[in-house]
Amino acid sequence: MNVHIREDMSRHTLRADDGIATGGDLLKVDNISLSFGGVKAISDISFDVRKGEIRAIIGPNGAGKTSMLNVINGFYHPQEGVITFRGKTRSRMRPHEAARQGIARTFQNIALFKGMSTLDNIMTGRITLQKRNMFWHGLWAGPAEREEIEHREAVEGIIDFLEIEHIRKTPVGSLPYGLQKRVELGRALAAEPALLLLDEPMAGMNLEEKEDMSRFILDVNQQFGTTIALIEHDMGVVMDLSDRVVVLDYGRKIGDGPPDEVRNNQDVIDAYLGVPHE
Amino acid sequence: MLYREAGDFKTTYREDNQTFPIKSERILFWAAMAFAFLVVPFFIDSYWEKSVLVPLLVWALVALGLNILTGYCGQVSLGTGGFMAVGAFACYKLMTAFPDLNIFFVVLLSGCVTALVGMIFGLPSLRIKGFYLAVATLAAQFFLIWVFNKFAWFYNYSASGQITAPERAVFGIAVTGPNAAPWATYLFCLTILFIFAWFARNLTRGRVGRSWMAIRDMDIAAEIIGVEPLKTKLSAFAVSSFYIGVAGALFFSVYLGAAEVTEAFGIDKSFLALFMVIIGGLGSILGSFLGAAFLVLLPVLLKNLFVGSLGWPTDVAAHIQIMLIGGLIVFFLIVEPHGLAQLWRLAKEKLRLWPFPY
Repeated sequence: MNVHIREDMSRHTLRADDGIATGGDLLKVDNISLSFGGVKAISDISFDVRKGEIRAIIGPNGAGKTSMLNVINGFYHPQEGVITFRGKTRSRMRPHEAARQGIARTFQNIALFKGMSTLDNIMTGRITLQKRNMFWHGLWAGPAEREEIEHREAVEGIIDFLEIEHIRKTPVGSLPYGLQKRVELGRALAAEPALLLLDEPMAGMNLEEKEDMSRFILDVNQQFGTTIALIEHDMGVVMDLSDRVVVLDYGRKIGDGPPDEVRNNQDVIDAYLGVPHE
Repeated sequence: MLYREAGDFKTTYREDNQTFPIKSERILFWAAMAFAFLVVPFFIDSYWEKSVLVPLLVWALVALGLNILTGYCGQVSLGTGGFMAVGAFACYKLMTAFPDLNIFFVVLLSGCVTALVGMIFGLPSLRIKGFYLAVATLAAQFFLIWVFNKFAWFYNYSASGQITAPERAVFGIAVTGPNAAPWATYLFCLTILFIFAWFARNLTRGRVGRSWMAIRDMDIAAEIIGVEPLKTKLSAFAVSSFYIGVAGALFFSVYLGAAEVTEAFGIDKSFLALFMVIIGGLGSILGSFLGAAFLVLLPVLLKNLFVGSLGWPTDVAAHIQIMLIGGLIVFFLIVEPHGLAQLWRLAKEKLRLWPFPY
């Protein structure tokens, strides 16, 4: 069964192939500045995300991490700077257009569709891949039904992968927190993204749930070859999971590199231990 | 014992996607449909047609339309009466301008016209939500009624300002006008409702329905997943108004026969439709039917009970009836805020385990 799923998934990732070799720049943000009125959330930040890696964004509270993710998936529009995704430079972009280009994300506070079942939530993740129009869906029999079943098969692959078969038809509002987080990851995965943004995937979890989630993140990265950028406060998790880390503080970048290098960076240590700002 | 899903295994996704996943439900549904289509027409008389069945069918269609917009897409609308008026007047203009056009197509075209109008009044939904949107749609209600009163072209310059449906036939059988037989009007409405309910069910179980519900449950997350808010909200307004427009056309041409816009399509109709959807169950096809049945049948039932059986004076009966219905609405909403459809679901859950509920 598992073999079948992997084949299925790899077929899909091939379809999303964009000519960028593993290790090449999938996403580049250059000199991004974002402010809300007089408040500067992000000032002049540049970094890149290489294809196939797990990239962590860390920093103390209010450092601008979530704002950065919001900029990447088009929810905020930076005043200055350039974003290059899959070789294409983009200017202003709405979030649904970013989704179409292959960026998916999860949220710090769970943002599931509470009135729908687990299955429907994950099926919604495939909305950009479904093509049939309203007329066919109203008729159901024929093309729309074939399309629904085809996507259902892919979604069942994700449900198997995340081990949530037993809650397939349960309304997500009634699920425990850890499972909701998992469903949300499933919904993001369902879009078969080229870049997956995870905003604190392990917030509020106990050790066991964190271990489960870490394994899922590594598996997603290795089995499906999905590039991942994640925000996380648990330093143990960050150092173990990520290939490279970028550190933000007060909207500026203060460190960038492999976990070991960042760990020994004096600026990073200062930011976390709290040295007075001049 | 009759209602069991044990042994009813699903081996394909197709079977798992069925509207009625349990066999006894399917049997019950088709038996009810057979009864409605094949038995009722032979026994229907003018009283049952005019007071019970045709209004029930028409209001079920209205509730279905509003439920798509409010229940599935989460956009509150108080413009239902206005949109029904658009359907009715479009129907009237088409009937009088093209006497040879089959009434079935007239009704569908009226729905299309209403869909366009609905989309225009749905545009504010892109910026405003909730109560504010409700107030914006309230503007639609008053504006549309004003337009149909103000411009005599809409009622063909008739002296009374009324519109009257001429006789039109389907397969040579009159379904509108004074000579239409009760069984013909009943079957005409039932057929249209059956097709529309089936279409609505299909829309709401697939991609389209999921995109509506995603907007309803969390619009920001929906947009980040790839749901286009503009297209999705407007499509909900279009489909909903289409249904309401068709219902308005039937309400005028088949049920009323003649209508005066302020009286027939006032704000009370908007509220009635909204009550139906809320009592029946938001986001449920079955709920639309239950809500419509509750608010159409209950007054008839109470009237028969008070005036017919107990012999009370009509005015006393009418007032007590209003109070009782108001009380029942409050009672049902306290018992189950998610409406009658949810009560039905809970009853089914209990029945599945009965008689060994452990």
